[in-house]
Amino acid sequence: MNNSDSGFDCAIIGAGPAGMSAAITMARHGVRPLVLDRAPRGGGQIYRNAAGSSLPDAGVLGPDYTAGADLIRDFEGADVRHEAGADVWHVGDDGRILYSLNGETRQASAREILIAPGAIERPMPIPGWTLPGVMTAGAAQVMLKSDAMVADNAVFAGSGPLLLLIVTQYLRLGVPIAGVVDTTPRENYLRAAPLLPAALRAPKLLAKGAALLASLRRAGIPVYRAATDLRVESDGRAKALCFTSGGQEQRIAAENIFLHHGVIPNANMARALGLEHIWNEEQLAWQVKRDEWGQSTVPHISVAGDGGAIVGADGARHGGRLAALNMLMRLGRIDLPTRDRLGAPLLAEQNRLAGFRRFIDRLYRPARALRVPENSDTLVCRCEEQTVNDLRAGFDEGARDPNALKSRTRCGMGPCQGRQCGPTVSALLSDWRGEPVADVGYFRLRSPQRLLNLEEFSRFRMAVPDQEAAE
Amino acid sequence: MNADVLIIGGGIQGCATAFHLARQGVSVIVLEKDYVGRHASGVNAGGVRLLGRDMAEVPLSMASMQMWQTLDQELEGETGFRATSLVNIAVDDADIVTLKAREQKMHALGLTHETIIDRDTLRELLPGVNPACIGGVTSSLDGMAIPWKATNAFRLAAERHGAKVLEGTELHSLRRVGSVWLAQTSAGVAEAPVVVNCAGAWADQVALMIGDNVPLSHAAPMLMITTRMPPFARPVVGAVSRQLSFKQFDNGTVLIGGGAKGFADRARNRTRLDYDKLAAASRTTIEFFPIMARASVNRMWAGLEAYMPDNLPVIGQAVNADGAYHAFGFSAHGFQMGPVVGQVMADLVLNGQTRFDLSAFRVDRYDRKVL
Repeated sequence: MNNSDSGFDCAIIGAGPAGMSAAITMARHGVRPLVLDRAPRGGGQIYRNAAGSSLPDAGVLGPDYTAGADLIRDFEGADVRHEAGADVWHVGDDGRILYSLNGETRQASAREILIAPGAIERPMPIPGWTLPGVMTAGAAQVMLKSDAMVADNAVFAGSGPLLLLIVTQYLRLGVPIAGVVDTTPRENYLRAAPLLPAALRAPKLLAKGAALLASLRRAGIPVYRAATDLRVESDGRAKALCFTSGGQEQRIAAENIFLHHGVIPNANMARALGLEHIWNEEQLAWQVKRDEWGQSTVPHISVAGDGGAIVGADGARHGGRLAALNMLMRLGRIDLPTRDRLGAPLLAEQNRLAGFRRFIDRLYRPARALRVPENSDTLVCRCEEQTVNDLRAGFDEGARDPNALKSRTRCGMGPCQGRQCGPTVSALLSDWRGEPVADVGYFRLRSPQRLLNLEEFSRFRMAVPDQEAAE
Repeated sequence: MNADVLIIGGGIQGCATAFHLARQGVSVIVLEKDYVGRHASGVNAGGVRLLGRDMAEVPLSMASMQMWQTLDQELEGETGFRATSLVNIAVDDADIVTLKAREQKMHALGLTHETIIDRDTLRELLPGVNPACIGGVTSSLDGMAIPWKATNAFRLAAERHGAKVLEGTELHSLRRVGSVWLAQTSAGVAEAPVVVNCAGAWADQVALMIGDNVPLSHAAPMLMITTRMPPFARPVVGAVSRQLSFKQFDNGTVLIGGGAKGFADRARNRTRLDYDKLAAASRTTIEFFPIMARASVNRMWAGLEAYMPDNLPVIGQAVNADGAYHAFGFSAHGFQMGPVVGQVMADLVLNGQTRFDLSAFRVDRYDRKVL
């Protein structure tokens, strides 16, 4: 048995912009953190493969992506214990961490733990969203970044900066696109307008967005605005995307349909840890309850980056540094005034970015019909194949709580562990109960955070030392 | 809020009691601090087991097993019950000796529902079993149900007969004033001449309010479930002397139990898992069924369950108060008994008696013992 159980001052889970920034800061102040991430190199989702892209010219992915390579270089040059390929499947509030590495379950413990699990895409349950040929735009981007794979003549449907970014990356690569179906509701533009002045405090980000939109127009791709009533037409696999736009029924034939309408925190680990969450009505998402340093309701657990609340890559970097400063103080490496002095410029920067974030949240607030599916045959839980109708039947039988509904219908019990249906379930229950999502709550989640091979697990033993000796 | 009977706890015992009372025209209120089936009744392994019961429980358990066979019709609902049979595996001669001794005792009492099986029959019932296993014991009436569905089927049937189930309603205090109980709850005062304590892991606190002291402890038995596997085990599987327990559902997923306990945090209404013990349960499972090495664990959990020192429940009248009854402390094997316990409690409340001998389940059986 080589299950390592090393006590660390600090463990960081996730090597995206938040985790890497935190690790660099810890290392600079003399703490060598344990960094666990399932990828072979640092970067997270946003900078996936940024340091070793298989594309002939990674520049097509945009300047942000290549900037990630600098951060990765700093991270790889810092004095950290980076366990690449470590898939963390449990973090306990007792400071215990269990992870799989090369087919073996290992254990570590740490005085301070930062989790930086990043974001996942908000489910977009339109009729046919689970058919072969339909995937999320994020998944399309992963294929592009990891394997330099693209799909010709795809439709991109949805809303939000990431969708635009991926479309632009496709354009730069010269891949033909069948159309862009923008579901951003018209009223969002009006509602977001008052927040524009605050967003202007982050002019670079705003300019970046404008450039994305401009490149789309220049490319002359058909763009359908304020689209509603989306559904996938199929003959077993996707054939076309149908929708209404400009008062007219539309149909775009395509074998590949990429859906995306925003990201939400990847909350499973934070939930399983028992961290308190609050509902953010602006982002229409749960976020971890934290102070400005990222410290959660469990004092030695901090959360940074999109895994706590959606802040974007820049916000994640600052959040990671802030959390690191706080952990350094808690470990006695720096004193409170030092933490506050070093943190002040980062907090100011966070504050500036927040104005931009509020604008983006308002502008790309997902359409209600795409969050609360109206068609009773639409699948909500793809793992257990539960439709809106099935869930409604469970609700009518008295399952009014997400967990009761899970027990009744098996919705959320499948291998995705509720990531694909959880937000929809809470939204539907809120609608049916006529109560805010905050009162409805969310699934009660447990470790493991991913599927765990039983044979691997069976080889794990940390138990009593004399038992080990006997064997 | 007034009713004839106030039931504390919306688990399977409380809901079954509510059903049996309500269908006889009794007005019933069920107080449930969380939601129906939130704890042990909703998240247990779903075993419907007569095999291997303590002798004192056998008559109740047998009657309950009969009720399970037709429960869906009776409740006009869905409990998910399937009579798949249950097999306890013997690994060595010592196990066989244990089984033979039990068989003698059973036969002396005229009980014949358990059948000892040899190596070949074991292999027939469970083709995937480790060839080193030498036999076992089976009960063909046994099977499994879906805990939350079964508990809720009782609740819905009770509601159809007029019972009121108040979820999210906590009991703060209980006192006897004249011939009624006054219950202070988070939703106001409830008043009833009779109270039934079905409060599971919290039942000792309710017993205290009634006036009975009881040495109840609580624990968090753990379970884990795998992704879908090809069908390899129709019967529910256990072992005579090892901590093995699993069942494969129709959809292929395999639920692994075995009695390993996590950490129960009753005050915070939650449990923590003990991964070392779950890893041990994985080892045992693979040892008995090598095919399980290919399985992947999808979810792990634990429920809060109440235990008595002798692992037998408390069923019957309160000793220190009138108009009060108990049904709790089932020590991780109460789910199967739910149907009959509901009937017994209704009989006690309405007629003051039942056809079963409840002397082994008295609430005061530890009063003069030093534990």
